Amino acid sequence: MKVIFALLLISVSSISYAVEQAEEIFKKLAPSLYQIRLIDKASGEKSSIGSGFQISSDGLIATNYHVISGFARHPHKYNIEYLDNKGNKAALTLKSVDVINDLAIVQREVNEEMPFFDIAKVAPTKGEELYSLGNPHDLGMIVVPGTYNGLKNESFNDRIHFTGSVNSGMSGGPVVNKETQVVGINVATSGNQIGFLVPHDKLQALFQEYKQGAPKSIELQMTAQLMRNQEKLINTVLASDWQLKKLGRGLIPTIDVPFIRCWGESNSDKADAQIMAAVANCDLDENTYISSDFFTGSLEMEYRYMESNKIGSTKFYHIFERQLNQVAPGNKAGKDDVTEYQCHHDIVMPEQSNINSKAVFCTRAYKAFPELFDVLYIGISIDHEQYALLSHFTISGVAEETSLAFLTKFMESVKWN
Amino acid sequence: MELIIEEITYGHKLLGRHKFSSNNITIGRGYDNDLIISDPHVCADHLQLHFDGEYWFVNDQGSVNGSFLEHSKENIIHHKIQSGDIVTIGKSQVRFVFPSHPVTPSIAISPFESLINLAKHPAVLALSVTLFACIACWIIDLNNAKEVSLTQMLVPTIGLTLGFALWPGCIALVSHLTKHDARFWTQIGISFIFFNLMWLSDIFENIIQFNTSSNFSMIWLITIIPLVLAYGLFWLNCYVGFHMTTRRRNVVAAGLVILLFGGSFIVQMSKKPNFNPRPQFNTTIMSPTFLFTPSNDVKSFVSDSTILFEKATEMAEKDKKDK
Repeated sequence: MKVIFALLLISVSSISYAVEQAEEIFKKLAPSLYQIRLIDKASGEKSSIGSGFQISSDGLIATNYHVISGFARHPHKYNIEYLDNKGNKAALTLKSVDVINDLAIVQREVNEEMPFFDIAKVAPTKGEELYSLGNPHDLGMIVVPGTYNGLKNESFNDRIHFTGSVNSGMSGGPVVNKETQVVGINVATSGNQIGFLVPHDKLQALFQEYKQGAPKSIELQMTAQLMRNQEKLINTVLASDWQLKKLGRGLIPTIDVPFIRCWGESNSDKADAQIMAAVANCDLDENTYISSDFFTGSLEMEYRYMESNKIGSTKFYHIFERQLNQVAPGNKAGKDDVTEYQCHHDIVMPEQSNINSKAVFCTRAYKAFPELFDVLYIGISIDHEQYALLSHFTISGVAEETSLAFLTKFMESVKWN
Repeated sequence: MELIIEEITYGHKLLGRHKFSSNNITIGRGYDNDLIISDPHVCADHLQLHFDGEYWFVNDQGSVNGSFLEHSKENIIHHKIQSGDIVTIGKSQVRFVFPSHPVTPSIAISPFESLINLAKHPAVLALSVTLFACIACWIIDLNNAKEVSLTQMLVPTIGLTLGFALWPGCIALVSHLTKHDARFWTQIGISFIFFNLMWLSDIFENIIQFNTSSNFSMIWLITIIPLVLAYGLFWLNCYVGFHMTTRRRNVVAAGLVILLFGGSFIVQMSKKPNFNPRPQFNTTIMSPTFLFTPSNDVKSFVSDSTILFEKATEMAEKDKKDK
């Protein structure tokens, strides 16, 4: 009993200590915190909001790319504006972005040197207390205490797992340690008490790059970043261990990297089903936000095995064929972003393989980012009367060379057991 | 000399034919005429014809609306009749023909006709309708992912067969209404033979689609087959159901084909979205039994794919320029 009482006492005191500290931090940092708003020129009202914080004495402010993406994609439609802790509003100009890590640097006009946030030199230690700042749901600036839980395992581009409530509108706000140094930037939430932050070193890198020279155009900068990222991703995937797993009578490749996760489902519980079907799919657990209706950077693989002893071969393939009409791209993109798909099909049997398939490959080009494409492949085995294997992948935002390298490896990996 | 007078419609369709042997003939609405025409625009005494021993002459009797030779606006006064002359009186027409008027040579009953009659032979008729029903039943089964019993398929099969029988039925009805021989069973026989040929061409098209890659550029040839079949069906429908010239029959058949396929093409085009985010490709897959073509290797498939990137890039650049 005594022990419990003592524990309670300690926890109460530590909570009150945390609150005190949070208040102190907030008071000190408030002048360098901003609400960032995108103003629609035609209606004159704000169309999206987020948070931002000053990182230099001459008025550079860091925020999320997705907060100002509307302006980056359609500079004629929007203005960017800030609202500071005293209620002053003024215009901002976009200076630089990192679309992969969802960061952006904007600038306000300053008359005198202003206080700003220091970016941390080292990463926090696991369990360290951090404070997330931002303006959730347009409710005013708040501070949320939470804990550093290391880097998220399943992500290709580093994200910090932060245990604390990050809400919408806090995007772009800083997360600081007790020394008020920025260790991360609020970027996403995954429900109760799970938040994700962009690590401080990404911001540091973007800041340093900007100091060396501003980018020629935001679009070209984004193209280069997307190009670099796809190359890094596909090369990592191609160099990783491709493990063959059994699916029905087939062998399907899965990639042994933490950031690609696989799931499976089958109808083996339904005894009266005419066709036994088993599905496995693997995908990259993240994608790159370009605008609210245009995403890229996804990678998805799907395998579908079907077998039937109850129906004839013609009917079996007829039913299989109808599933092909449901093929859809893996990422969201519209008419302004991409061209329509160009497709090509053939009967293909890889050398030294035992599977003969009808293969379809489709691609569409990005309109704003030259030499980047979405690609899609479907192979359906057509060499057995009563069973067939469908193998499929889509990758968005890839270059021709990398996607064809992936295509070759993928086609050569799928085979019969 | 004898004279033959034909009452005809404005479309030159024969209504009645009369032969006169006297040398004086009168035409009009009055009951004292030799030829009585009950058209309110025709006068009681309208036309008079006279044979002078060598020639026939025709005279208007001072009628209200006049009498005119076809394609002429002058009132007929003492006109020398040529065999085949057509005269408009009121809103009616009459044609004068001499006994010596030439007729077109008689048409021999062609072996083609007996071939068409074969279509209504009970055995052939039963065979083609049964074949149609079997294929329909099979296709209904193919499209049903769940297990279906034979009785469950019976109703849609009969429905489909009756539905398709509506077309020859309608044609027979139209030919009956236009005073032609209905020839219902011949229409049914011919139509079902062609419906079966269309199923077969469908299957053939699928096999070709399955066995060729997108590098095969002659695929449009396959799409012509249904057009040819439809043309053949409509042509025969006309041949059996109506008396018309070959030229007219060709025009009607071609017109129906254009209406049917052009119409469905326009409907498809109007449904086509401005931008389709889904890939469009040939989805045909069939049982390995129908695979006759050798396989390609990965290398050539990949090198074929490089063309797609060029095409897509071109499209993107063209779009940028348009803006």
